[in-house]
Amino acid sequence: MVKVRLEGLKKYFDKVKAVNDIDLEIIPGEFVVLLGPSGCGKTTLLRCISGLERVTEGRIFFDNDNITYLSPKDRNISMVFQNYAVWPHMTVKNNIAFPLRIKKYSQHQIQEKVIWAVNLLGIDNLLDRYPAQLSGGQRQRVAVARAIVMEPRVLLMDEPLSNLDALLRVRMRAEIKKLQEKLKVTTIYVTHDQVEAMTMGDRIAVLEQGIIQQFGSSDDIYHNPVNTFVAGFVGSPQMNFIEVEMVHKNEMFCLRAKGLEVPIVDNLKDKVSKLSSKRNYILGIRPEHIYLTGRAQTDKVATTKGKVYFAELLRSDTVIHLEKEFGLLVIKSPGDLKIEEGKELEVLIDLSRIHLFEKDTSKTIF
Amino acid sequence: MKSQRIPIALKIKQLVTIIIVGFIVIWFLAPLVLITISAFASPGDYYQIDKVIPTHFTLNQFKSLFFGLEAWKAILTSIKVAGITILLSFIMGLPAGYALSRYIFPGKNFLKLLCLATKMFPLMVLAVPLLIIFMKVGVSDTIWGTSLAHTAMVLPIIILIFSSILSGVSVDYEEAAMIFGLSRIHAFFRITLPLALPGLAASAIFAFMMSWNEVFVATILTLTNRTLPAHILKTAMASPDYLKFTAGFIMAVPAMVFIFFVRKHLVTMWGISLK
Repeated sequence: MVKVRLEGLKKYFDKVKAVNDIDLEIIPGEFVVLLGPSGCGKTTLLRCISGLERVTEGRIFFDNDNITYLSPKDRNISMVFQNYAVWPHMTVKNNIAFPLRIKKYSQHQIQEKVIWAVNLLGIDNLLDRYPAQLSGGQRQRVAVARAIVMEPRVLLMDEPLSNLDALLRVRMRAEIKKLQEKLKVTTIYVTHDQVEAMTMGDRIAVLEQGIIQQFGSSDDIYHNPVNTFVAGFVGSPQMNFIEVEMVHKNEMFCLRAKGLEVPIVDNLKDKVSKLSSKRNYILGIRPEHIYLTGRAQTDKVATTKGKVYFAELLRSDTVIHLEKEFGLLVIKSPGDLKIEEGKELEVLIDLSRIHLFEKDTSKTIF
Repeated sequence: MKSQRIPIALKIKQLVTIIIVGFIVIWFLAPLVLITISAFASPGDYYQIDKVIPTHFTLNQFKSLFFGLEAWKAILTSIKVAGITILLSFIMGLPAGYALSRYIFPGKNFLKLLCLATKMFPLMVLAVPLLIIFMKVGVSDTIWGTSLAHTAMVLPIIILIFSSILSGVSVDYEEAAMIFGLSRIHAFFRITLPLALPGLAASAIFAFMMSWNEVFVATILTLTNRTLPAHILKTAMASPDYLKFTAGFIMAVPAMVFIFFVRKHLVTMWGISLK
């Protein structure tokens, strides 16, 4: 188990700042997910840690070893690639044994470790096959087996599940997570899929434009996003963002948009009392925090009405798009509901779960 | 009735295609067939004017060509020259092709263009200065001299071919090897090279063919150590006609046999994947 520390890491491609001054500390044995949209620099950051990319500036530490300028082979890491990168001219067995052969393990040890790895991943019946004879899921398992067989200091994963079909992806998600918990190897996992990040990561680093926007547990990321980017990137359907102005009415602070008035509850009052009412704010409400009448579990709600524009009947959930003066308001309600398009609908906004952001900086107020 | 018209139109189209293809095939194969038949024809049949297709065949021409005119020596020289050409062009072409396929660097496209641009100089222009330089250095009329000239001729194309072959091997395989404990150069030899081998073998044969068929430089640079085409130019061309056909046959056969065996890889060589 190794602690990974990044200090002021920068990677520029000419003028493009792919990784822009990143500090990150990963505790030993932790499963950290780098989450972000494509082009946010998450893969570049991973490649810097692997050594496949030379950093422009900054330092990388494994425990107290500065490995910034070591070549990948000397870092004692392993990696699972997006398209598996299982060598096609070797059998499964040779693929998995390859890292051990290079590290000059004895024939006996190699045999033992390969058997251990294939049993762990349930591919012991494929040892003599060539990658071309395997399905995508099997190749993925071979790639993971190859990555864990040499007991690396750090395990890197670059969108390992994105080439699998949806069903297999869900299964592998759990398997990889369980495997990591068993092996207790410090793992850095890159993905653009927020569901993967939320379900697998001990902590998640949300990246955008080469900068870590927020680093925290999934709980933290979901409930206390630091800005509109994180709030919008995590959660499905996306959080509703509504441009509002702050008004003072009957000793109460109130957020107002056309056709919507959301009072601020007492325990949040302190955070807004100093705010200027002249500036514009963005109100954020997650679709799952808007309830249909009769389904609210709290009485601190604001009521609003609108015409149903579109209803996604997922049967397990129902996602309703409500037409409002400021745009569409998306509501997610559990269960198979009979919602008719075009009908007027009243919904309740949970006042204790709303978010407020500054419009100019996108930063969170609460 | 209407439903039958379309098949007829299709049949006509098919027929036209067959005729065109047949014409092209005959265009290319007729000389080969002619050379082959004449190569084996007995001199008597060959000179009989009213006999289009000879009926008596003999191997005498081959005997006199190989031993009388010492073509076997020239064949040996040709093989040596081609072998050294392959060796040299691989030693220089692999790193160059690798650089072009794996790295982005300023002037890369210009370099690629330059590789092609060398083909714009006619060999005749270069041959005489080359001979003078070779004479000064002392490699004229040697196998090494001819090989060097052939390498210069083959290398630019080989570099471009290598870069496209190596581009066909995913960088991920190499990077995986580097992650799992190999340096870049070891990763190249243990992972990339084996995966690129079919294409590389095809390009070796391509280089062989280029050297095997090259006649102009070989003629100018050598007097005694002549490669087969240069030797034939000197000897067989001054011999009776049927011997010329035999010589042509000897020249053409290896090329055709090789190309037949590697035709699949020749396509991949130019960067077109068959997968």
